[in-house]
Amino acid sequence: MVKSKIGTISAILLTLSIAVSYITSSLPRTFINETKSAALLNIIYITVVVLFIIILFCKLFEKFPGLDLLDISKFLGGNILKNIVGGFFIVYFTISSSIMLRNFCEGLVVVYYPLTNYIFVILTFIISIYLVNKLSFNATINTSSIVFPLVLLSSILLFCGNLDNFSFRRIYPIIGDGFYNTFILGLKNIGAFGGICYLYFLPPMLKEPQKFKKIAIISVISTGLFILLCVGTLLFMFSFFITADEIMPLFSAARYIEFGSFFQRFESIFLLIWIISFCCFLSITCKFSAHIFNKMFNLSDIKPILNIIVLLIFGLSLLPQNYAIANFLETNIYRYLRIAVGFILGITILILANLKKRKVGDKN
Amino acid sequence: MIKISNVFNKIFILILIIIFISTFSASYNSLNLDNLAFAVAIGIDKSTSNKLKVTFEFLAPSPSPESGSDTKPVLNSVDCSSITNGINIMNAYLGKKVNLSHCKLIIFSEELAKEGISDEIFSLINEVQVRPSSNIVISKCNTRYYIENSVPSLESLIPRYYDIFPNTSEYTGYTCNATIGDFFNALVCNSCSPYAILGGIITSDNNSSQSPSPNESSIKSNESPISGSRASQNIGLAVFKDDKLAGELNAIETICFLNIRKQIDTFLISIPNPEDPNSKIDIYLTPNSTHDIKVNIVNGAPYIKINLKFSGKIYSMKKDAQYLNPEVLNRISNSCNSYLESQFSNYLYKTSTNFESDINGFGVYALSKFNTSTEYNKYDWLKNYKNSTFDININTVIDSGFLLTQT
Amino acid sequence: MKIKNFVKNIFTYTPPCSYEFFLPNDFNNSNSKTIKPEINETKNIFASLDVNLEYIKTQYNLLINSDIITREFILNARGKQHKALLLYIDGMIDTQILNDYVLEPLMMRNKNNLFDGDQNRIISEAVTNNITVRKVKKFDLIDYIESCLIPQNSIKQSNSFEKIFSGVNSGNCALFVDTLNIALDIDIKGFKQRSISKPENEIVIKGPHEAFVENIRTNTSLLRRFSNNENLIIESLDVGKVTKTKCAVCYMQNIANSDLIAEVKYRINNLEIDSLLSSGQLEQLITDNNSLGLPKAISTERPDNAVQHLLEGRIVVLVNGSPYALILPAIMVDFLKSPEDRNLKTIFSNFLRAIRIISTFFALLLPGLYVSVTSFHIEILPTELLYSILSARESVPFPVIFEILIMEISFEIIREASLRVPSAIGSTIGIVGALVIGQAAVSAGIVSPILIIIVAITALSSFAIPDYSFSFHLRLFRFLFILLGYIAGFLGIGTGLFVYISIICDMESFGVSYSIPYSHMENLKNTGIILPPIWKREYRSSYLAPKKERKQEDISMKWKFQ
Repeated sequence: MVKSKIGTISAILLTLSIAVSYITSSLPRTFINETKSAALLNIIYITVVVLFIIILFCKLFEKFPGLDLLDISKFLGGNILKNIVGGFFIVYFTISSSIMLRNFCEGLVVVYYPLTNYIFVILTFIISIYLVNKLSFNATINTSSIVFPLVLLSSILLFCGNLDNFSFRRIYPIIGDGFYNTFILGLKNIGAFGGICYLYFLPPMLKEPQKFKKIAIISVISTGLFILLCVGTLLFMFSFFITADEIMPLFSAARYIEFGSFFQRFESIFLLIWIISFCCFLSITCKFSAHIFNKMFNLSDIKPILNIIVLLIFGLSLLPQNYAIANFLETNIYRYLRIAVGFILGITILILANLKKRKVGDKN
Repeated sequence: MIKISNVFNKIFILILIIIFISTFSASYNSLNLDNLAFAVAIGIDKSTSNKLKVTFEFLAPSPSPESGSDTKPVLNSVDCSSITNGINIMNAYLGKKVNLSHCKLIIFSEELAKEGISDEIFSLINEVQVRPSSNIVISKCNTRYYIENSVPSLESLIPRYYDIFPNTSEYTGYTCNATIGDFFNALVCNSCSPYAILGGIITSDNNSSQSPSPNESSIKSNESPISGSRASQNIGLAVFKDDKLAGELNAIETICFLNIRKQIDTFLISIPNPEDPNSKIDIYLTPNSTHDIKVNIVNGAPYIKINLKFSGKIYSMKKDAQYLNPEVLNRISNSCNSYLESQFSNYLYKTSTNFESDINGFGVYALSKFNTSTEYNKYDWLKNYKNSTFDININTVIDSGFLLTQT
Repeated sequence: MKIKNFVKNIFTYTPPCSYEFFLPNDFNNSNSKTIKPEINETKNIFASLDVNLEYIKTQYNLLINSDIITREFILNARGKQHKALLLYIDGMIDTQILNDYVLEPLMMRNKNNLFDGDQNRIISEAVTNNITVRKVKKFDLIDYIESCLIPQNSIKQSNSFEKIFSGVNSGNCALFVDTLNIALDIDIKGFKQRSISKPENEIVIKGPHEAFVENIRTNTSLLRRFSNNENLIIESLDVGKVTKTKCAVCYMQNIANSDLIAEVKYRINNLEIDSLLSSGQLEQLITDNNSLGLPKAISTERPDNAVQHLLEGRIVVLVNGSPYALILPAIMVDFLKSPEDRNLKTIFSNFLRAIRIISTFFALLLPGLYVSVTSFHIEILPTELLYSILSARESVPFPVIFEILIMEISFEIIREASLRVPSAIGSTIGIVGALVIGQAAVSAGIVSPILIIIVAITALSSFAIPDYSFSFHLRLFRFLFILLGYIAGFLGIGTGLFVYISIICDMESFGVSYSIPYSHMENLKNTGIILPPIWKREYRSSYLAPKKERKQEDISMKWKFQ
């Protein structure tokens, strides 16, 4: 399905643009809500933890050059395990994107379309994804590498534009809610690095598979920096009581930006950029889920599956009755799903496969 | 066969577009330029008959397209139980939807502010249209009266005047660019207290009844020596404890406040002349960027150490004033230091003991003394602030005068 | 039943039937560190005519090159006959001169060449003391031909192929004679100087003022003259069952990617059509369709521009009867380049490029943004601007969307009208249109002056795009964004932009991704985002996968560093 393979920078930007959509929705709120003033410390801590995990991944992947998680689980437990793992990931991808879509659209409705039913806002996204699904996988990847720099620019502008409103002393008390909350309970926030799930499926698509390790490490570090930038903006600006209650925290931060008396109130420009990057995220997830499905059943063409996945996302995003439930799902349930599927499942399979490989190797 | 399905495709797309237009048109109608009335200022008063009296200021655009931005203000007031309710009644009255996205000024009357304005602030900040950067003013008089009189005297555009006047604080220091976003931030924060611009109206009797204006720097709104074409004035600050008005600051106190918050570029003060006790010298001071504030907790009470550094130039010129003589300069800077120290400590003890309100945001400096936020919450800074002790150290370096000629 | 078909059509699977072609990216010549030609020896002319012919054939690729002509004939000199060969490029020589003053004296039997005097010629004869001392020069065939047989003013003898070829490339004709290892370079240049006119649509200030004409031979000769290199191959293909229109595929044999060349020829050869009359038709016939209507081939009327692209490793296709050359492949940034860019100082051309990118953005999005801002996101307007818009719209009866559609459509009408009318009254249309639509509409209260400004900026921006067909695309899709902005404000524009960018990223022009350099960031040399200073243009665009990557030495301004 991937015609020409993904280059190194594109792959990094791909994982980053997935992180972007987490950040623009509710991620910073979760961070600040749970770790208070220690949010930045927590992010650095988590980045380091994830870095270790990812180095472990790369070590484990080294034995299987050019294979993705599905191939590895096939090696481990045959087609059955492969299908189970694939199924898990498809479920995870669709649920994640649908819940985030719902939350993002609820935010949009509150901000700009007060009298429009949220279904139609969701439908706008769904239609655009449907149209883009007719295109190749490369189109999506290229788009995300065009869009991400814009997002980065917007975040930097957000940071710099608000410098006047910052009080850097808000990072104190340094430990926040205490050691336990920051470092033990704070581990839950590892889900912020959900983007690295997509790394499992990258190796066969890469132009230079030997650079997989580099890609993984760079994308983790840059995701960490990006989260740091955005959460930092919020933390320095507001006392954390406020952030805890905002629907789209970064949007609220954008409302404060002013350059002189002419350039005021341009938060909708930020929203425009975030909408585009959110579309990117949706289309990446669609393409990846279809890719997994395709790999599970060896189909020749993924396009029909794509449409079904789009419909699935649409349906799932309509399921929560109201924003409160959708929000609860995102902050509580989906998060653990992210950790369970993204980290635990992946690691277990990789470790087991490595053990098996060693055994097989010994026999030989 | 293929052709027919193509036609169906096209029809389907058309239907889709129509559905979208119709569903979004509701939002469109509520947000369309033609259906909106833009309030540039709202005033919130205590009402005699209902809970609130909300005054909206609109600008009626001039009918002739040639003279583009010639506008005249239109004021409408409504008695209502809440701001949202008031907006709704106003919508019905105007036949247009009131939009607050260009509202630059939010004015509360002193009366209302004394009773607490947190409900209003919360509902305003939750409104998407209200800008967090709108300025918040506490008016000493009726808000409608204040708005009526807030007409720029040197320019024709009211919004531009609203935009510009809070920025004068950067060089006069007599008021502060207090925004509703900051106000809200401070309101929910556990380490600082909110503040607002103090606005008032010059009343002729006020001027005459006053004892001969004591000091230029102790002026504030309603008590100022200005007489001009416009009646409204914005000098001084309104200090809040929680959401209730606790007191007012005059011009020199506002200067102190701005200095501690590092929100001022330059300011002018008059200090007693060490050479001649009856006269005063005007000094133009610029705060150095390296001033530090340290907060310690001593025996459960905050001990706040403030080190401020200024460099100054002498503005006023007198006969035989030897402003190039280092000794004279030294004496002047000593005088300046002691004057400023007394002003600062007056101001700080005023906020802590009289107002019990930490508008200076010392709480943020205290944060680093605590390890966890639970400890900090337990300490309850805002309650303990009234017990604070201040240690003020001011170091002024007077360079020389703005001399063109030596006297 | 019809609805059933429709539903079926949506949900049933139809296998994709797309044609795919990629340029291989893993070219392995990136280690070439210098631009010096691999074989640097200067070959001397052989004594045998057949060997010479073979050499010419390999050098000029006579089998595929359509305009290189070799004429073999029998040369008569002093009654003896010699095998001879004329080498020249069609279109660059004057056929009349060639026939009358080269071929005729050489071939026809006439007094000169029939004269069968002494083989030895007496140069001087001095009689002293009755002894006659004769200085005799041995008969030299080549001198004889030069001095006696060809009545031409400029003839040079040369024994190296390099000199002869450069003469041929510049429009001379070379005469090889059997048994002689010297060739004659005969000046019979005959360009169609007068019929070549100034370019009318691609005007540059600093740069040559020559344009292609309708005659394909003249056009190829223009390319030859600008490139002046025997590696330029001009292949001739016939297109159209009825018209058999001549097309020329031109490329630099040692630079352009051979897969690319093969693909272009493959596509042109496999056209089942009756007739081909213009290069515009050919462009649509050989490029993949795209729903955005973006051009996938640069069409230029400037030979210097075409040669510039030839030297980059692209392919130029000429169609007989069309004064426009197609340059393949073309990607998005190419349409923002002007031939002027290379002649200017780098900072100016980069400035112009930035201006063009901004104007692309305006031409595509400005009206849509205006509609969405005034309908959904009013807070983004500064208050003063808001009030001037409000007071300007005071007497306008229409909603913004209708107002902008009126203006945009009437503007398009003016533009089309001024193109279609005879040029003598074309300028009046512009004035009338501007007057009527601008001033009268405002004073009649139909549109607001702000909107006039918006439409005017949009129009000016679309004029700033160098490529005509690209600006067409922008003109059309502007309306889509107006509609999207009207439907859902920035949400509509955002999703629309996303789909738009995705489609552009999906597009390919002859295997080259259309969105390069904005999407693929790795390992690209000479990407074209910004134009480097002239001494830094060391590489050819690597997305074209050229055979030679380097076009300058590391130190190109050698005079500075010696």
